[in-house]
Amino acid sequence: MVVDDHPMWRDGVARDLTAAGYEVVATIGEGRQAVRIAAAAKPEVVVLDLQLPDISGVEVITGLLAAVPGVRVLMLSASGEQQSVLDAVKAGASGYLLKSAGQAEFLDAVERTAAGDTVFTPGLAGLVLGEFRRLAVEPAGADDAAPKLTERETEVLRLVAKGLSYRQIAERLVLSHRTVQNHVQNTLGKLQLHNRVELTRYAIEQGLD
Amino acid sequence: MAESLWRAIAVYRIAALIYVAILVVRNVGFYAHPMLAWPVLALTAAWTLFTTYAYADQARRRPPLLVADLLVVMGVMASSAYIVGEHALRTGRPTLAVAWHVAPVIAWAVAGGRRGGIAAALAMGTTDILVRGHYDQAGFTGTVLMLMAALAVGYLVNVAEVAQQRLERAIELEAATRERERLARDIHDSVLQVLALVKRRGSGLDGEAGELARLAGEQEAALRTLVTGRAAEPVDEHAETDLMALLDPYASETVSVAAPAGAVRLPAGVAAEIAAAVAAALDNVNRHCDPGTKVWVLVEDEPAAVTVSVRDEGCGIAPDRLDEAQTQGRLGVAQSIRGRIADLRGTVSITSSPGEGTEVEMSVPR
Repeated sequence: MVVDDHPMWRDGVARDLTAAGYEVVATIGEGRQAVRIAAAAKPEVVVLDLQLPDISGVEVITGLLAAVPGVRVLMLSASGEQQSVLDAVKAGASGYLLKSAGQAEFLDAVERTAAGDTVFTPGLAGLVLGEFRRLAVEPAGADDAAPKLTERETEVLRLVAKGLSYRQIAERLVLSHRTVQNHVQNTLGKLQLHNRVELTRYAIEQGLD
Repeated sequence: MAESLWRAIAVYRIAALIYVAILVVRNVGFYAHPMLAWPVLALTAAWTLFTTYAYADQARRRPPLLVADLLVVMGVMASSAYIVGEHALRTGRPTLAVAWHVAPVIAWAVAGGRRGGIAAALAMGTTDILVRGHYDQAGFTGTVLMLMAALAVGYLVNVAEVAQQRLERAIELEAATRERERLARDIHDSVLQVLALVKRRGSGLDGEAGELARLAGEQEAALRTLVTGRAAEPVDEHAETDLMALLDPYASETVSVAAPAGAVRLPAGVAAEIAAAVAAALDNVNRHCDPGTKVWVLVEDEPAAVTVSVRDEGCGIAPDRLDEAQTQGRLGVAQSIRGRIADLRGTVSITSSPGEGTEVEMSVPR
């Protein structure tokens, strides 16, 4: 399923996906509509433009995950606006790519997303690293410890941010490709879990007031 | 602010005129030349009326009118010496410009700030004391009070002016930011998308179409940096600035810049030096590696230090080449980067091997 408000883009992406052998179940230009249709169309992968005219990327992602549990969301963004990318990843997106990425890079990202992998750009790795450091410094609530990365995870994330491919990282750290992939996925998982805990706590606090 | 001060002066002048008129009527019997008091009182009234109108227009609040105002009021006051007479003045009868003479002094303070106010107060005060001819505490009190009033008003005007300038600057900045955001939205919705699309569709093609796609890609990257870039605030050497405002512009088709989402705050001088070191590293890649070599910049903001890594997948540098450049006295990467970072009490590690690319890691303590 392709969600993008720019018709030329939407069609171009859909065409590339069809040509590569994917079945495009729907192409949609708005967030609310995307969430509604996803519930019926049950896509496995959603290629989502982060900036839609009606609702925010975070809202679309939350809505999609609620409508189709387990759906994989690959975000595309033209501007790479940092906070919105970070928020979308925390909300549960499983990959992120700049729109300027080449066609081959895009198809590779879709394939990996469909396979359950996490697609990180160096820029996103930098954002996630920064977010963990921010959480570590920020005075946390008494009951929940801020999520922490293991040394290995930090190391892997730093190498991703420096532009090394998973294969290069695996070589450098003498790990298997799969292990590197797992480390990257774990960092995202920790961030998303923390986000859910925070949201739940916020909801309880609001409810008790 | 200034406008209401000018109105206040006019009101004061009119109130003072009424006071003068009452005093003249009550004291005229004691004057040495009582008949002359009436024309002077008429002049006082006429001048009050004239200045009320004259000062109402901003364009006329200039030296000619201000000097004339001061001289006319001083003249009225000086005429007291003859009209009221030395004897009456010495026994405590007021001058023909009592209280009224403060108006031009305040006008000077409003127009010329503290300095203008003090100058006018001194001139008017001296005239007052000379005319009244008794040099005791009572004689000086009026002048001292006038001097203090001029100082206070002058100070107030200076403060108001600075506040006004700040307000204007803030409004300007806000308007600029809003305009920028609007542009960013527009550009994002249209130009950026199309450029990315052109690049994407044409990237597999050969010849002119491929070249166009490449150019579109370059412009897309530059434009994206422009609209998402953070604004560098004008700061002095010691104020803090966002390092990313300096580094983000380096992002391009071949240079990826990874950083935390928030600002990386550093003293302006430190940030500038780090940015210069990064520029030197990027420049080095440009000069020594094939065109189109990919570079990744990573900025990490830790409580104790800021670490910036610049990694390229270029040709790499043979281990002895760096030292060689230095011994030959050439200003190479070594000098430029190590020197700048060492000045900031930071550390630099350069790892490289031929064919493997180069990685420069700079760490600067907070």
